[in-house]
Amino acid sequence: MKNQNTNYNQEYKYGFTTDIENIKAPKGLSEKTIKFISEIKKEPKWMLDWRLKAFNRLKVSKEPDWQKPKFPKIDYQALYYYSAPKSMKDKPKSLDEVDPKLIETYNKLGIPLNEQKKLSGVAVDAVFDSVSVATTFKDELTKKGIIFCPISEAIQKHPDLVKKYLGSVIPISDHYFATLNSAVFTDGSFVYIPPNTRCPMELSTYFRINASETGQFERTLIIADKGSYVSYLEGCTAPMRDENQLHAANVELIALDDAEIKYSTVQNWYPGDKNGVGGIYNFVTKRGACRGKNSKISWTQVETGSAITWKYPSCILQGDNSIGEFYSIAITNNHQKADTGTKMIHLGKNTKSKIISKGISAGKADNTYRGLVDIGRNASNSRNYTQCDSLLMGNKCGAHTVPYIKNKNSSSTVEHEATTSKINEDQLFYCNQRGLNQEEAVSLIVNGFCKEVLQQLPMEFAVEAQKLVGISLEGSVG
Amino acid sequence: MLNFKISSDEIDKIGNFTKEEKNFRLKNLEYFNDTGFPNKKNEDWKFSDLNAIVSKNFNKLDIQFGKSKKQKVDFIKDFEHNYIVIINGELTISDFRYEEKDKITLKSFINDNYSNRKENNPLINLNHALSDKGYFLEVKENYKFKKILVIYYLFTNDLDENILNTRNKIKIRKNSELHLLEYVVNDSKKIFFNNVHEDIVLENSAILKNIYLQNSKSSGYFHKYSINKLFTESNYTSFIFPAGLKFNKLDLEFNLEGERSECNLQSASFINNNEHQEIKTRVNHFSPNCRSHQNVKNVLNDESKGVYQGKIFVKDVAQKTDAYQLSKAILLSEKCEFDSKPELEIYADDVKCSHGSTSGNLDKDSIYYLMTRGLSQQESTKLLIDAFLNEVADSIKSNSIRNFIKTKLETQLQDGY
Repeated sequence: MKNQNTNYNQEYKYGFTTDIENIKAPKGLSEKTIKFISEIKKEPKWMLDWRLKAFNRLKVSKEPDWQKPKFPKIDYQALYYYSAPKSMKDKPKSLDEVDPKLIETYNKLGIPLNEQKKLSGVAVDAVFDSVSVATTFKDELTKKGIIFCPISEAIQKHPDLVKKYLGSVIPISDHYFATLNSAVFTDGSFVYIPPNTRCPMELSTYFRINASETGQFERTLIIADKGSYVSYLEGCTAPMRDENQLHAANVELIALDDAEIKYSTVQNWYPGDKNGVGGIYNFVTKRGACRGKNSKISWTQVETGSAITWKYPSCILQGDNSIGEFYSIAITNNHQKADTGTKMIHLGKNTKSKIISKGISAGKADNTYRGLVDIGRNASNSRNYTQCDSLLMGNKCGAHTVPYIKNKNSSSTVEHEATTSKINEDQLFYCNQRGLNQEEAVSLIVNGFCKEVLQQLPMEFAVEAQKLVGISLEGSVG
Repeated sequence: MLNFKISSDEIDKIGNFTKEEKNFRLKNLEYFNDTGFPNKKNEDWKFSDLNAIVSKNFNKLDIQFGKSKKQKVDFIKDFEHNYIVIINGELTISDFRYEEKDKITLKSFINDNYSNRKENNPLINLNHALSDKGYFLEVKENYKFKKILVIYYLFTNDLDENILNTRNKIKIRKNSELHLLEYVVNDSKKIFFNNVHEDIVLENSAILKNIYLQNSKSSGYFHKYSINKLFTESNYTSFIFPAGLKFNKLDLEFNLEGERSECNLQSASFINNNEHQEIKTRVNHFSPNCRSHQNVKNVLNDESKGVYQGKIFVKDVAQKTDAYQLSKAILLSEKCEFDSKPELEIYADDVKCSHGSTSGNLDKDSIYYLMTRGLSQQESTKLLIDAFLNEVADSIKSNSIRNFIKTKLETQLQDGY
């Protein structure tokens, strides 16, 4: 076939850094660093105690080592745990006060804050490095009683809610990276939807890792009270850097009776160059608890970036009739490695879960789906359906499926199926014959392969994600 | 609490060995003593905590036991066959009346492979250290067995809290064919542990058909590690009907070394009471154009636990691989449990690999349908389970053998349900 060896590799589009003077915490991980972070955030004592408790736990816990992608040892003492743009010290009251350089960065990223209000109806809580810059649409949300603010603000203004729910889904002793996050998290989002409220817009946050050698430790807490609904978007791009940067975020979702949370992620962090140098380590803990009856949590993720992606957005289905969903696309190219999947823990009666995972592996990449479906003794009439499909491009990459399925209840049904294959030659030939070149054809076929997941994304993301799927695989066919 | 440490004196009691062999045994015993029986922290034993099971049920585990008395063997009369009789792991009598004798070698097993590797499965090290019984069977080139060979594994009442370490090897030379029925007859009323290491080699174009069957329920604790090497165009079909033991773990490894080799694994079991059964497979596709097929069916009742851990590994050179894995389980009672981990690890792109795993109860509509035709609930359930499990036995080609197996399975079901 023609074109076979053409290299269409597109360089990482969002690789740039903005030169802003940073305030940095003392280098390294110590009680001093944690106190520094806590102080700079003007946190109450209980919060500092909570952090220190996590830090003490961290001293005795070990990094997990069971995952497929191995990574070089991280020197936690060589990292900075806090950095904030200096101009943030006096919080800007309006957009005019925002550092023009920040605005410039956002414009390059395609988030025109000024136009955001009019255009999309999306309230953006933009996080640059670790501190939230501006929050739009606050008024409209406040009217409905919805709280959408940086978590540092929530700790001060809504301590009761934070105290009650923070760490209730991911306990501080969970595992090494979750504990690390609990000790040193800098900022993140807090969302509270009051009872019987439907959030009128898609809430969205753009995270961005900027300063070199700064691990980012975001903490997100979303609470949907009885009968409420919220859809939350998280999207990321990161500048091009040579050092490996660590990102260990924690995301906790809590859905009470009849509430629904939809959480969508598009992750496009710097994956390292063609030879596998650099790139982000994305070790994220995401977990949702369906606490109430008839509650629902739905995770959708498109993972195309990062040198190593290692995350398992999970659902704990505690409430009767609760529903957990997980839709995922993980694309790895060049030397990228992904080990991702989900856990569905069925505890309540009549609980349902659905897992659709699409893994695409090209170049020298490794892509693993790892998941757990656990039906407890009391989870009668529960149901799970899992489908994991993998697509391989070339014989230097790998695709793996590691599902754990546990069933302790005879009235429940668990179904799992997985396939691994390559792009069908006939389909490619057909597309070529209709005038599409090799790249376009692959992009089209892969988009079709991922369709079930892509259509779960909100409108704002769907278009971008489709492009991303194509871009991520360019240069991989041959 | 049982002390799992085994003294090195035990090796001297087994026999006199060359220096090399003795060192090999001592080294392996040391490995085993380091870890003891595997517990759930070992990924391969995640769902079967053998350490806990052994601690709970055994007060001691003796290596030596009284000499087995002559045992009357209840031979199968349903079809003509050759036979080998193994009593408590020891090769006793054999009869190849339907075959050309010079085409077959049969002798007691002598291990000659001293690999000093620390195994991930400590029971393999234990077997290396203490194995003292077993057989070696070889079928010479270009010979096709005329009748099936039945291997009777007898366990007698002499066993009481003993551990047996046996080691068997079967080698089938080029263009030869063997049909085998491994038939386990367990007369021991007491508990014992049987730790088997099996080595099977299929040379180019060799064919092996194997059926493994338990005669009746017993209180044995079995572990078998089986490593199977398949060379070019060889074909291995294995039917496993493993049910009926207190604890049973089959750890099967298939290495498809030669091109166009094929392996087929079928299993059906009905597990009840407090039985614990695990089938763990690892199929390594090392060469192009190989095919592997696994179909594992379980029906669970009472407080039983069933586990299936299957892994398909495809090396980058193994293009055009066709690998399939299916696990189905029916859970009948409130207290049973089924865990599975069907795993794929694939490094070649032009492959067709898939797996499926389901577990759940019987379809209510099907039961309702049968009841409307006049069957009782119990009858309907039984009919559906029969159909579910018999699918495996139905694919056995020989009529007389198939019927024999089906009758045996029927009794197992009758006893259990």
